[in-house]
Amino acid sequence: MNEIPLIFFLWVGAFLFATGLSIILIKRNVIFVLMGVELMLNAANLNLIAFSRGDEQNQGLMMGLFVLVIGVCEMSIALAIILQVFRRFKKIDIDQFQSRN
Amino acid sequence: MNSPLMIGFLVLTFLTCGSAFFMLWTKNVLHAALAMFMTMLGLAGFYVLAFADVMAVSHLMIYVGGVLILILFGIMMTGQRTSKTGETNELFTEQKGRFWAFTIGLSVFFGLSWLMGQQYFYAFSDIDQHSKLGQAGLSFMLEYSFPFELTGVFLLIALVGATYIAKNHE
Repeated sequence: MNEIPLIFFLWVGAFLFATGLSIILIKRNVIFVLMGVELMLNAANLNLIAFSRGDEQNQGLMMGLFVLVIGVCEMSIALAIILQVFRRFKKIDIDQFQSRN
Repeated sequence: MNSPLMIGFLVLTFLTCGSAFFMLWTKNVLHAALAMFMTMLGLAGFYVLAFADVMAVSHLMIYVGGVLILILFGIMMTGQRTSKTGETNELFTEQKGRFWAFTIGLSVFFGLSWLMGQQYFYAFSDIDQHSKLGQAGLSFMLEYSFPFELTGVFLLIALVGATYIAKNHE
């Protein structure tokens, strides 16, 4: 056997997912939070690719490619919204908006 | 265990996980963007090791070439002042709730690892180690043609919408 066991890919994916979740929870900059979201997305994508290694129909690979494109859409729209928020409020902290109870 | 594939996997693991953890550790947004660049390079290497060359090349093109430049533009255009020191400091971000973030992250990691250790995953017996470019192109044109077109239209609409949102509405 000359190939890497599946569980190693899954461990790396789990580590990246947990790191992205921690980044989302810990950081107060919206761009930073967006980077954490990208990390989580890629961790899930790695699992898809790892599971489709020996699949003859390449289902995981195709799903991963579609996820990639949708992730890019999400990223561009989110950055445009962040730009507008910065233009209006001059800040992009998460804590700057408080509900009025 | 000592095959060159395995050694490459370990090197990529150190690169990816180390730079992902550096993203969590640092407070500088620009350093985090650089670490994200290294993480994406490592992920492309993982895709190569999983025999998905199409995914590796498109990941490199889209993330390193597109998304990272977009993030750098976002960092550049949203320079903000910190209120604590009063002087212009555009890159450092505040952190809050460090204990809970680490606790939740660690528990998610160990929970997922434990859960995956419990399962038995059926492994495909013969792994095709050739390029999957032709197969992927055929799949795009044959059985995934409708999602392919839909994704293209979606991408077009999203980019036009992003351009419209980012416009200066004055």
